[in-house]
Amino acid sequence: MVSLLGGVFLGWSLGANDASNIIGTAVSSRMVKFWHAAFLAALFCVLGAVISGQAGIETLQGLTSLNVNQAVISSVAAAVTVTMMTILGLPVSTSQAVVGAIIGMGILNSQLNAPGLGKVVICWLGTPVGGLVITLFLYRVLAFFYNKLSISLFDSDRLLRVALILSSSYGAYVLGANNVANVTAVFVGAGMITVSTAALVGGASIALGILTFSRPVVKTVGSKLVNLDPFSAVVVSLSLAITIHIYTMIGVPVSSSQAVVGSVLGIGIIKGANTVKLETLKRIFLAWLFTPVMACSIALALSFISRLSYTPVS
Amino acid sequence: MFQFLFNKENRVEKLIFQYLDSFHLVLDHFSRALATCITRHQCEEFDFLMDQTHKYESKADDIIDEVNNLMFSKALIPDSRGDIMNMLISLDKIPHMVERALFIIRYEKLIIPDGFTQDIESLIRISLESCELLSKQVELFIKNKGGTRTVMGTIDANESRCDHIERQTISKLFDSDMDPFFKLQFKELVLVIGDISDQADRVSKLINILTLKRRV
Repeated sequence: MVSLLGGVFLGWSLGANDASNIIGTAVSSRMVKFWHAAFLAALFCVLGAVISGQAGIETLQGLTSLNVNQAVISSVAAAVTVTMMTILGLPVSTSQAVVGAIIGMGILNSQLNAPGLGKVVICWLGTPVGGLVITLFLYRVLAFFYNKLSISLFDSDRLLRVALILSSSYGAYVLGANNVANVTAVFVGAGMITVSTAALVGGASIALGILTFSRPVVKTVGSKLVNLDPFSAVVVSLSLAITIHIYTMIGVPVSSSQAVVGSVLGIGIIKGANTVKLETLKRIFLAWLFTPVMACSIALALSFISRLSYTPVS
Repeated sequence: MFQFLFNKENRVEKLIFQYLDSFHLVLDHFSRALATCITRHQCEEFDFLMDQTHKYESKADDIIDEVNNLMFSKALIPDSRGDIMNMLISLDKIPHMVERALFIIRYEKLIIPDGFTQDIESLIRISLESCELLSKQVELFIKNKGGTRTVMGTIDANESRCDHIERQTISKLFDSDMDPFFKLQFKELVLVIGDISDQADRVSKLINILTLKRRV
């Protein structure tokens, strides 16, 4: 069970980092208090992991078969990659780090599920695109009905606040459902735990990250989205949740950060404003390239180190 | 059903309508005070009506302070907070102008000359009409009802009429052979009353922008 700590650590850091994508808009715009948002996000994250997290776990554990040591190594490699990329100030996707590490182990075992891997990579490319397309559609539809509503400024305010709380809770639910695979799928593959235990442990560790360490990240990252008007913030939050939900149903863990960027870009297209800088898009492409490669390399290096043995010279 | 979740917002909503009531009372007492002074040249009631104007102006200020405090304690979403505070702060300049006009008459012991009563009456009537329309426009904005643009058009036309009367009055004043000191004193009063319709026009245009901004 101690071996699971690597996964729990990864889940904790994932929760601390990705919470900003889910509740950042609501909290930094002061529409919802941090603790209310964090508690709701943690609760829905666990529910999402337990109720809908199995598909992703099965996809990731199906990429290759790992033994206990390799499961721990891939988990640690992913965590180290996330930490290094964060220190380097490069965008990081936990999903890509985990898949990169699993690929490393797969290469080592000469056993890689190529069709499964292809599905995962296509989904990565589709995450920001999906966020963008869903935002374009959702904005038009919701704006049509919103403009038809003959409600007072105060009722509109209440409606937007409730909508943001609901969409953030939905976002947290799908974050748990989608990203729990990153945290504990390797341990299921190694036969250490069952899928349902993996979902519970993974969901709980992400929730722990949200509750204990997400506040500074939420404040920092969320403020980048604050210039969105309240209606756009609701649309971004909802389209992020729908995008991740679609990938959850397909069974592929994806990056919530990239889905948010796609959604914000969609708002920019509708409003004719430059909401996402070219630099941000460049950084996403860099993340697609570097994160899995780095995680794969670290996993291979760790595996090599773990096989070294001390032979005294006689 | 979920009204209990939005106590602060409900309170702000009530306060805005209370503010509009005080706004009406300020305008009403101002109108009566000036009518007393202009038509009868007997201003016995003037002090009482001026005190009443001051009382409701202070009440309006207290309401603004309370709304401000609620906003700082995070009632409403930030966009709405900014919109409402901008609107109320701009609107609240009108009761101050109204009170200032009365203070000029009272403390500078100004008597409106016979040849100018009609001009001042017109200026006040049109300015007050703009203020009444403005109050209606605020309600339309809060209730998200259509018609704010039409109201803005009328207020804008009133502002042009007031500007015209204001220029005409000042020109007539300086053509007369009145005491130069009185001319300056009276010009100040004309400008202060003229500012009321200018401010009403500014607030009206602000509300129109806020209405457009809130559409998605």
